[in-house]
Amino acid sequence: MTMDRRTVLGLGGAVAAGAILLAPGVRLIAAPNKTEASGAQRWAMLIDVNHCTAACTACTDACRTENNVPLFGDPKRDIHWIRKVEVQDEEGRRPPLSLPVLCNHCEHPPCVHVCPTEASFIRKDGIVLVDKHRCIGCRYCMIACPYKARSLVYFQVDVDKASNPRVPVRGKGVVEKCTFCVHRVDDGQQPACVEACQAAGEGAMLFGDLNDPQSEIAQRVRTLKTETIRADLGLKPHVHYQGL
Amino acid sequence: MQLSDFTTIEGRSFGYWALMGVLGLFVLLGAGAFLYVEIMGHGVTNMNNQVVWGAPHVFAIALLVMASGALNLASMATVFGASHYKQFRRFSAFLAIALLAGGLIVLLLDLGRPERLLLTMIHMNFGSMFTWNVFLYSGFMVLCFLYLWAMMEHEKWVKVAGSSAFAGRLILTTGTGSIFGVIQAREVFHSAITAPTFIAVSLSSGTAICLLLLMATYRQTGREMDEKLVHGMRNMMVFFLLAVAYLMVVEKFTKSYSPAFYEVEAWIMTGPYALLYWGGVVTLGILLPLVILFNPGWSNTRGGITTAALCAVLGEVAFVAHVLIAGQSYPLDLFPGYNISSPFLDGQSASYSPAAVEYMLGFGGVALAGILYLLGIRFFRLLPDKAVAPEGWHPWSP
Repeated sequence: MTMDRRTVLGLGGAVAAGAILLAPGVRLIAAPNKTEASGAQRWAMLIDVNHCTAACTACTDACRTENNVPLFGDPKRDIHWIRKVEVQDEEGRRPPLSLPVLCNHCEHPPCVHVCPTEASFIRKDGIVLVDKHRCIGCRYCMIACPYKARSLVYFQVDVDKASNPRVPVRGKGVVEKCTFCVHRVDDGQQPACVEACQAAGEGAMLFGDLNDPQSEIAQRVRTLKTETIRADLGLKPHVHYQGL
Repeated sequence: MQLSDFTTIEGRSFGYWALMGVLGLFVLLGAGAFLYVEIMGHGVTNMNNQVVWGAPHVFAIALLVMASGALNLASMATVFGASHYKQFRRFSAFLAIALLAGGLIVLLLDLGRPERLLLTMIHMNFGSMFTWNVFLYSGFMVLCFLYLWAMMEHEKWVKVAGSSAFAGRLILTTGTGSIFGVIQAREVFHSAITAPTFIAVSLSSGTAICLLLLMATYRQTGREMDEKLVHGMRNMMVFFLLAVAYLMVVEKFTKSYSPAFYEVEAWIMTGPYALLYWGGVVTLGILLPLVILFNPGWSNTRGGITTAALCAVLGEVAFVAHVLIAGQSYPLDLFPGYNISSPFLDGQSASYSPAAVEYMLGFGGVALAGILYLLGIRFFRLLPDKAVAPEGWHPWSP
């Protein structure tokens, strides 16, 4: 088969035009790479149980406000990104503890391992998130999470004027959980629960970068006796507790 | 056995159409339930944040487990050389497909976002048992179709296709059992023996459903089936029920040596789901059918064998229900050795009773499998006019 000059030019022009038209699209597809999380950081939380009081709900209240987390009035189906748990030894010899429990943003998250569509994923900086547009609502992650950190959205939730516009709209039939307030962390702020805890004067919660040896959390985790919940499972949780 | 011996049923009787009508109604109710849940959200079910897989999953998993067991009859002929079951190979493979279809449809329609199903094909996580099960379910269906095609058109490929389907059903049920067995967080079902137990349960319930449908189909269509064939399948059921009992005893025996399991095992045996365990799984699913089948009088009557087979099927449903519902209801042990409580109901056994829409969706899947079976025997030559046993073959009698 031979091609005359006009055909060659026509094809070449078409390829060039196509490339020009496609280029912005390619740029758009490639764009998220520029803003992806950095593996240089490893976000973690430290909760000093000695400073957490049963009556204080500053962290849970702040989370609901910041992340538009609704209460349906049905304890079995309310959404909880963070909740206060009362812990009492079986003999009742020690005073009960009250502490917040949330997603532990594990290094080996079972929720991510079992998710069939990779809707649950772990960022390079260790924050475990759910892609609400990719979740098919199979709930396998809820079965796999040993911390009961996940909730299914059982009812339609509408956005109103009071809703925080920085948080994605809630999707019915999709699983969700604590994000470490990723939208705030990416802007250099603290998670809402930590900020509220400090504002309430308790100072029980601390958030920071474990990879930064100068950070307060790295120093305290390194020098003080801290524990994680169900460390025996080998998931390497990144919510640490002091005084447990 | 020649191809001409296999015939379709007429399918013109009142009984046939009445059964189709009833099953069709259940399928419509199931479709209505799906649309209702899809529009209103899972809030209209009784599932909650502790029991996230409810009755629809019980129906779906029970059908899927039974589907792989339904192929057993065909495998006995093709893989293990029991040539007297050769005449039931087509029926067996087709029934496996029908049950699989019924189970899968319920599983898919119970997703929180079923319209996003295609995402499972686009974004695959090969670390997830669910992803593997997508391949295992579709692969098993393809293998069963190939097996049917070989049986109907190309006998020389039957051995290869049948052996592949046999391997496929073992892997499939291992995959289904492993959905639960691999989950470290759930003490009730996290065990390496969960998957083998699922295989044993699939064999007993799959043989039982084959036995029930064969006896009913032959009786309703006025065909003849040699009683020795019924007794042979009865014997298989005895063996498989003993296998289920054996695996369950081994699991309890092993856990009895680990104090870490005492609390959860005591909860299983005496807690809120003790009736389901003792009454459904142990008594209905294992002891009662074994007592019937080991009784020299009952085990040689159609009534006794039918009752035992029904018990085995219901026992399988109870087993799956116990794994799923009790497995999720047992509270997650965040702080071993401590009592905990919270507004998220930490430290409490979950309570759950299925809503009507959940039953409707589940029975819709069962009805769909039933309709597929009725269509199968109406349009495909799946069964011989007369099921005969070899002259010199005498099945062992309990």
